Amino acid sequence: MAPIIELRNVYKRFGDNIIYEDMSFGVEAGETFTIIGGSGMGKSVCLKLMIGLLPYDAGHVLYRGKEVGDMNAEELRELRRNVAMVFQGGALFDSMSVLDNVTYALREHTKMSDQDMLERARECLDMVGLGYDKDILYRMPASLSGGMRKRAALARSIAIKPEVILYDEPTTGLDPANIERIGHMIRKLQKELGVTSIVVTHDMPIAWKCSNRVAMLWQRKFPHIGTPEEMQANPAPEVHEFINGIYHEDQD
Amino acid sequence: MSVRGPFEYIGKEVRAGFDWAGGISLLLGRALVRGVQRPWGIYDVFRQIVALGIRSLPLSTLMGVFVGMALTWQFGEALMGFGAKNAVGSAAALALVRELVPTLMALTIGAKIATGITAELGSMKVSEQIDAIASLGADPIKKLVWPRLMASTVTLPLLNVYGNVLALIGGAFIADFVFDVPAEYFYETYIDELYPMDYISGLVKSFTFGLLVGLIGCYQGFQTKFGTEAVGISTTNTVVATSVAIIVFDFVLTTIFLPVG
Ligand SMILES: Nc1ncnc2c1ncn2[C@@H]1O[C@H](COP(=O)(O)OP(=O)(O)OP(=O)(O)O)[C@@H](O)[C@H]1O
Ligand SMILES: [Mg+2]
Repeated sequence: MAPIIELRNVYKRFGDNIIYEDMSFGVEAGETFTIIGGSGMGKSVCLKLMIGLLPYDAGHVLYRGKEVGDMNAEELRELRRNVAMVFQGGALFDSMSVLDNVTYALREHTKMSDQDMLERARECLDMVGLGYDKDILYRMPASLSGGMRKRAALARSIAIKPEVILYDEPTTGLDPANIERIGHMIRKLQKELGVTSIVVTHDMPIAWKCSNRVAMLWQRKFPHIGTPEEMQANPAPEVHEFINGIYHEDQD
Repeated sequence: MSVRGPFEYIGKEVRAGFDWAGGISLLLGRALVRGVQRPWGIYDVFRQIVALGIRSLPLSTLMGVFVGMALTWQFGEALMGFGAKNAVGSAAALALVRELVPTLMALTIGAKIATGITAELGSMKVSEQIDAIASLGADPIKKLVWPRLMASTVTLPLLNVYGNVLALIGGAFIADFVFDVPAEYFYETYIDELYPMDYISGLVKSFTFGLLVGLIGCYQGFQTKFGTEAVGISTTNTVVATSVAIIVFDFVLTTIFLPVG
């Protein structure tokens, strides 16, 4: 089966800062694919390439075989209706209530009634563990805690029921119970709705528990891709050191 | 440093200026092309007009009254030397309506609108909210630039009309109290002096300034790089860019309208 999202020989640089060189990998429909790698190496950039938020310099970024870089406005809109992204910092709209944030894509893409949207918003907030707070819908993002904002952003991305969700560090800054909950949610969406997830994370327990495959970004490529078992058994020093958090003082 | 140093520097700056103007024009083109497609977002435009207009009323009031007073005083003093202080209304009218009210209004209110837009869009940019709009399948230019551009283009001429009325009132006050020219007389000579073309010239100016201000504000906001510090930098640049643009376009429009008027 052809991958749902595929990057083939991708080159990407910002001025002199080279992020990717001849980078390739593919994500199968229905799998949970985790991306790990050091800070500032380009994990967030990788997700943005997939939905055309950043242009690539050469190579191919394909969604269901279609070149993202060649898509016109209407095709991009369709792509982004199907592939949702949860931003690293949440990126909630400051000027809108949580309800308006969560229902943004619904208003943009559907003709749902206000009542249906309200119900959908409640459902999504329940899923991310914000359902206990009855007033949350009408609160402004600025009045939420960091972790709450992060989860509200998650709710906004899943509201439209996308087929692919790109998570940029969804659990960073959350308490252990909520980390568990997000992990559970990713698996539940996969099992019940067949959602494909691409997760950027530094949280190794979540990566092992949720992923079908794990890919490690190293030297501008993804040289190591494999199931959690394969990755844990991978003898390459960079993989071993990264996943076990080994730190050499002489690296500084 | 080699002899070529300064020339290279100037060359670079000139090129940066052209790039900037190119980027601005491109944004204007995109905003217009996407803006006119349905839905027009009338509600968003209207909300921006109210926000920009209402928030600018106190400053516009102050501006209008004081410009009218200061200019009338200056002209009054000068005309008194010729024993022609009664002509103060006619003298002040053209300068205020055609030049001072639209330009000073744009330099103050316009700069305020532009920096407000840059700061807002800039912080949306650094917190990835603009990317988020795109990722949710909406068009940031349509959602953010179009309503602000429309609003500033409509608001500045409206405030200009308001400022003209207040400048007239301020002028009449000074004429009456300082120069003993009755306010009614000042009013009559003032209005007599003005032809429709003078109003049109003032309005075309403030319309153009409104467009420039909204455009520069949005462009600078979208161009903001990383971090909250970057928002400060682009906001400062916006002040400079709007002032220069307003002064240059004021001169251009004046040369166009002088032969006509
Ligand atoms: N829009 C951009 N313009 C210029 N440089 C950028 C841009 N976005 C990212 N970069 C640069 O690309 C590099 C990779 O950034 P990215 O955000 O993808 O890192 P990351 O792997 O997600 O790191 P972290 O784990 O800290 O989030 C960084 O050096 C960053 O400065
Ligand atoms: Mg990142």
